[in-house]
Amino acid sequence: MHTVSRKSERLVNLTIALLATRRYLTKSEIFRSIEGYEGSDESKERMFERDKDDLRSLGIEIEVGGFDPIFNDEAGYRIKPESYALDLGEISGADIALLSLAANAWNGQALNAIAHSALLKLKSIGIDSDIDAIPMLAPRMVSAGSELVTVVEAITTRSPITFTYIGLDLENQKRTLNPYALASRDGFWYFAGMDLDKGAIRTFRLDRVEGEIAVGKKNASFEIPAGFDLFSHLDEGISAKLATIDIRKGKAFALRKKALSVVEKGEWDQITIQYGDESTFIDSLLWHLDDVVVIEPSELRESVVKILSSMVVNHG
Amino acid sequence: MAKVKPAPIIHTERLLALVPYISAHQGIAIADLAKAFDVTTSQMSADLTTLWMCGLPGYTALELMDLSFESGFVTIRNAPTLKSPRTLSSEEIISLLLGLDLVRESLPNNEDIASKVQTLSQRLSEKVGMNATFRAADPVSSALRAQIEQSLHKQVNLEISYHSLYSDNFTEREITPLELRTEDGIEYLFAYCHSACAFRVFRLERIQSLKVSSNTHKVISKEASGENAEFASHISISSRARLMKERFGLDNAPVNEKVQIQSFSRQWIIRSVFASSGSAVLLEPGDLAQEIAKKAQLILDRYQAH
Repeated sequence: MHTVSRKSERLVNLTIALLATRRYLTKSEIFRSIEGYEGSDESKERMFERDKDDLRSLGIEIEVGGFDPIFNDEAGYRIKPESYALDLGEISGADIALLSLAANAWNGQALNAIAHSALLKLKSIGIDSDIDAIPMLAPRMVSAGSELVTVVEAITTRSPITFTYIGLDLENQKRTLNPYALASRDGFWYFAGMDLDKGAIRTFRLDRVEGEIAVGKKNASFEIPAGFDLFSHLDEGISAKLATIDIRKGKAFALRKKALSVVEKGEWDQITIQYGDESTFIDSLLWHLDDVVVIEPSELRESVVKILSSMVVNHG
Repeated sequence: MAKVKPAPIIHTERLLALVPYISAHQGIAIADLAKAFDVTTSQMSADLTTLWMCGLPGYTALELMDLSFESGFVTIRNAPTLKSPRTLSSEEIISLLLGLDLVRESLPNNEDIASKVQTLSQRLSEKVGMNATFRAADPVSSALRAQIEQSLHKQVNLEISYHSLYSDNFTEREITPLELRTEDGIEYLFAYCHSACAFRVFRLERIQSLKVSSNTHKVISKEASGENAEFASHISISSRARLMKERFGLDNAPVNEKVQIQSFSRQWIIRSVFASSGSAVLLEPGDLAQEIAKKAQLILDRYQAH
């Protein structure tokens, strides 16, 4: 514990000194004035190099500059207060309340630690959260394993990821991806990006990843297309086709919710509904057993009839 | 694998975060501070002792931060350099962007909140040059969850409208909420159902609406019964193995082999086999297979007539 606190004490002192200085501090100035740099010149150098890396790993930008030949040739270092300090512009108590609610949605979930540290910063701004300004809500993120954190890290550092994905027939697929975005829907997490083997955008469901996701060493190795929206890729194909189906009154609630139009037909309602992948759509129709009858298109009707006929044979 | 930060880095991060936090919460009790930072009180005391030694070069009383905590309450003066919180990291911003989208999503008709979220998200995205859109949705209504949490807290009964997936109908019930629990990412409300006079488990996403009942807690019948017994059946999978594995909750789904599944409900098995569109065939028990065949024939007849 002692070495831990000595090291962190030195890092805090270095941060304070580099933040407070108006000009670049040279290495020799740093070694002379900041507590904790000890030993031979070489070991001080090594210490300092490591400290710089450590501060950068915390997201603190250390600027190098001040090569002024009149004084000396030595490089100098500083931290610009404007890059160090949080600046969210003009912000209200209601904004703070919203952001706090957003962070709290991760309570007990995958990004809990990250969101918690964000929350501490928000609470340190000195503006009271105006919780009464927003409705009573308890938002909660869909749960996910620790691999979600890995994906977030890879997106922020723009590093490629490699993982094993379970294919349609449960076969293991090795995938390499430049990750662009992640999103949750219907209780699942999805991530998407450029599949480097396919040379095209692909979307993956996080819970179908087998084992760990490996992050490539290379940072900033790609650009994320501006405005990239995972769902617009996921939804490609959906809403391509239109079906007319009869559903029994008071039944098939899940389909009813997606209906574009509803016409009453006595004991039944006739609805129109959009669908993409045919087999997924048929699955959702058959779940409703005899409460659903497909009217149009005829190909869809035929597929359903064929499946039902085979079910009669296979279960007879 | 997510990177794990070394101990001195985590420690430094906390020390840097402590200064602005204390500045914004002058006089906070050490115990509360420890709780806020999720560490023990003795760790917090050690942190404060370390911070007490930090300051500008020179390290005399003039340059050191003026940190006092002997009384058990913490104040800080003379710490202008570290006073404002550190800028948000890209990871933190992503966590907030997803959280904000979830809040927006849970209030579909609130334009005021939507525009506030929009402004905040844009500002955050610009901060880190995040190009992508981060979207989050929750199958459970945030307002509904908040109401349930509150009713648990206040110990009041609820009237709920519940959609039963297997029988595909709505029932109105009066319940006494007992516990919220999450299993495999699905949220459940354990409750005593006064309509059924039994303990029941409700999936939050299927609670259509709820309101606080005017009744106070009723006596829970001691003879309250639990769920029906679990039973085994056997299926065989011919295609779409991944989907079948997920649908039937199997550890593995070998093709064209007899696999056992467990269920509490015949209805669920019948519907799941139908929703597999032929990719799964029920082998045993025989009477259930016959029921499926009969049902399939019934639907076929309807197609012929329709």
